[in-house]
Amino acid sequence: MQNLRRVTQAAFLLFFLFLFVQTEAKGNDELGYPVRFFLDFDPLIFSTTILSAHAVAKAFYLSVTMIAATLLLGRVFCGWVCPLGTLNNLVASLKTRRSRPFGRDWYRLKYLILIFLLASSLLTMQLVGIMDPLSLLIRSFSISVYPLFNYGTRAFFDGVYNSDVKGLVRVSESAYSLIKKTVLSFQQPFYKQNLFIGVIFLAILGLNLIEKRFWCRYLCPLGAFLGILSRSSLLKRSVSEGCNSCGVCATVCQGNAMPDRKEKWRMSECLYCWNCDDICPQKAVGFGFVRRKTAGMDLGRRRVITSMLSGIVAVPFIRSNPFSKTAYSNPTLVRPPGSLSEKEFLKRCVKCGECMKVCITNGLQPALFEAGLEGIWSPLLVPRMGYCEYRCTLCGQVCPTGAIKRLSLEEKARTKIGLAMIDKGRCLPYAHARPCIVCEEVCPTPKKAIWLENATVKDRAGQEIAVKQPKVDLELCIGCGICEAKCPVIDRPAIYVTSVGESRSKENQLLLS
Amino acid sequence: MGTVPYDCLTRTAGCIIGKISLTQGTNKKNLHLKGASVNRREFLKLAAASGIGLSLPLGLDTLYDTTEAAMNTDLVVAHGTSPARITRAALDAVGGMKRFVSRGDIVVVKPNMAWDRLPEQAANTNPEVVATVVALCYEAGAKKVKLFDRPVNDPRRSYVQSGIPEAVKAFGAEVEYTDDRKFREMKIGGEAIKSWPLYADIFEADKIINIPIAKHHSLANLTMSMKNWMGVMGGLRRSIHQRLDESLADLTLVIKPTLTVLDAVRILTANGPQGGDLTDVKRLDTVVVGVDQVAIDSYGATLFGMKGSDLGYVRIADKRGLGTMDLGKLKIRKINL
Repeated sequence: MQNLRRVTQAAFLLFFLFLFVQTEAKGNDELGYPVRFFLDFDPLIFSTTILSAHAVAKAFYLSVTMIAATLLLGRVFCGWVCPLGTLNNLVASLKTRRSRPFGRDWYRLKYLILIFLLASSLLTMQLVGIMDPLSLLIRSFSISVYPLFNYGTRAFFDGVYNSDVKGLVRVSESAYSLIKKTVLSFQQPFYKQNLFIGVIFLAILGLNLIEKRFWCRYLCPLGAFLGILSRSSLLKRSVSEGCNSCGVCATVCQGNAMPDRKEKWRMSECLYCWNCDDICPQKAVGFGFVRRKTAGMDLGRRRVITSMLSGIVAVPFIRSNPFSKTAYSNPTLVRPPGSLSEKEFLKRCVKCGECMKVCITNGLQPALFEAGLEGIWSPLLVPRMGYCEYRCTLCGQVCPTGAIKRLSLEEKARTKIGLAMIDKGRCLPYAHARPCIVCEEVCPTPKKAIWLENATVKDRAGQEIAVKQPKVDLELCIGCGICEAKCPVIDRPAIYVTSVGESRSKENQLLLS
Repeated sequence: MGTVPYDCLTRTAGCIIGKISLTQGTNKKNLHLKGASVNRREFLKLAAASGIGLSLPLGLDTLYDTTEAAMNTDLVVAHGTSPARITRAALDAVGGMKRFVSRGDIVVVKPNMAWDRLPEQAANTNPEVVATVVALCYEAGAKKVKLFDRPVNDPRRSYVQSGIPEAVKAFGAEVEYTDDRKFREMKIGGEAIKSWPLYADIFEADKIINIPIAKHHSLANLTMSMKNWMGVMGGLRRSIHQRLDESLADLTLVIKPTLTVLDAVRILTANGPQGGDLTDVKRLDTVVVGVDQVAIDSYGATLFGMKGSDLGYVRIADKRGLGTMDLGKLKIRKINL
């Protein structure tokens, strides 16, 4: 059974990675298979989004199949499917020394986390993405692991290429071109907080060295969600008379479900890995479909109430800051086109980072505190990193929860994400008597939002120079930021976009209309 | 590179052609780069028009019919509803692609595919024109035809939406994204730019064919052949706008295309160089073919109701002897299909 499980796990992990790599622009308007497919099956995000936003993207009804599967088969998802679980397995296999599992009651922690998240989402705060394993995995891969992989691979092959060793270069270059075509991204991605998010991810994997599947056992809120469901699972483990209580099963149990305690084992912690069955020297362990009542789960009433209250208190605690004040806008909080109004956006965004992964210019970056604490790792456009491509709608196509609406090309052309303004103190034709029209040239609106006024300026010698000075037509500007991205004043551009005027907001407006 | 194997033709057609050209006031450099193939009737018409018909014994004209008229033509302007047919006809009229591309050549074809726009928006070169040129290169025996551009918008979208990769796929041409490693610092020694990282492929190719599209541009007034070479510039090329006209003329010091095909099937008359509004697009159903980029850009200006001298970079290049701006000095042949 172990081998069958490993093959299944590997297949799902590879499928996940395949979808991940495929979540990239190819030049067409439509994307093939975004990695959100996995999130569509995530019943935890499904539930918290219903609680927080009272609405959910249609695709999420797929997660009902996962609920049904768990009711039938227990936490098979954790043991057989979850790509983060599989990675945890892989890292845990590096651990050679067996250590005693953590305190018996630590498993409760993940249920308390789940209760916290559900309570806060009931009060419209969507924090689940921070800890949901699929969201966490996609985010960590997008922001940290994949950029690292790309950078390292490119650096390696560039190094060989520059070494000028003839035969070696030929081999390495053909390998490189194959890798470029298959698994590397089109261009090297760069993300803010790559290190921060990467360290968190490494820490989660590293915990396996303290105890295998530490994350799955003690922290994972999706595991907890499925654990609760699995208590009514029809697939149950049974131990026959033959058991001589040798206890070897407890050493191989992935979920720390205490299989050696026979009927008193913790069913909700079982990952259905079949290890206990495989290893039992007496062949006393079996799995089968039975209707039998299982013992209740005791999390401790006080603990449950405490975590519920924490989840409730967290909402006003986090929100009582200037970001909740009407008409207080953060100029750098330029959201992707199609984003809902900020409140509705935050109710839905699960910080999975797919929009950032797919962003064609690498302009979408994870927020830190630009949108308050609850907006951490939500996407914002940093035009210096990359502008919003006029005819691209990919971020809305991959967003699993509809925080970013899917726009048609016509809608996209009408959607303002901010407005550009000119810094005359730095702009060449205004301040330095030099011609430049780059912002106007690249402005993508059919009638250009940036227009030029002929002007005659004087240089130091008093000589008259004809220049064209750019102006922004605020009615036409959609805030895509290509002007900022391409401005020749490269360090602090002479034209830049801020969020004011964004279509999605009633308050953050400039023009009287 | 940049030279064309016409020496033999010039020699065989010998003194007669030399005379014709001189009477037309064409300078020697242009003569050197001309090539030809027209049918007998067209030749006679041409010869009569240029007043040299009498100098040729009528019975001998067939001897020259692959060389005469084309040797005597600086620009061919072909007009007609099918982009493929006018491109082919224009190439035939300058002597056929065989004049420019030899068997086994590696040819770089440089279209404009710098913008995330569709062909009907006239921001990128017409894919049918490009595909026809590519097909002609292979027919002439080219070993490999490579196409690339360094787009302003996302390269993937610019390439795909331009329709060019799809159009040339059937001929086996290589459409490649530019590779950062291949930009090499090149000495230019120009007025505005002394040196610049340029794409190595254009210096390694045997032949280069420039296929720009004619468009409005707010600083250059118009962008056509000479400005299309911004697509092989690496580095922070946006800064050349500070001295755009000089910089474009400087580029022609080192980039010497074998042939230029100006796409004016659709021209963009405003909001260039990327447009987006179909009312700014004008259908001219025209291509202009020639060797002298300055001459082509000078002629191209007339398509917009301007003169070559309205374009700073054309004026500068003409003054520096990099090409001919004065259309009166050029032999221009018009074909209507």
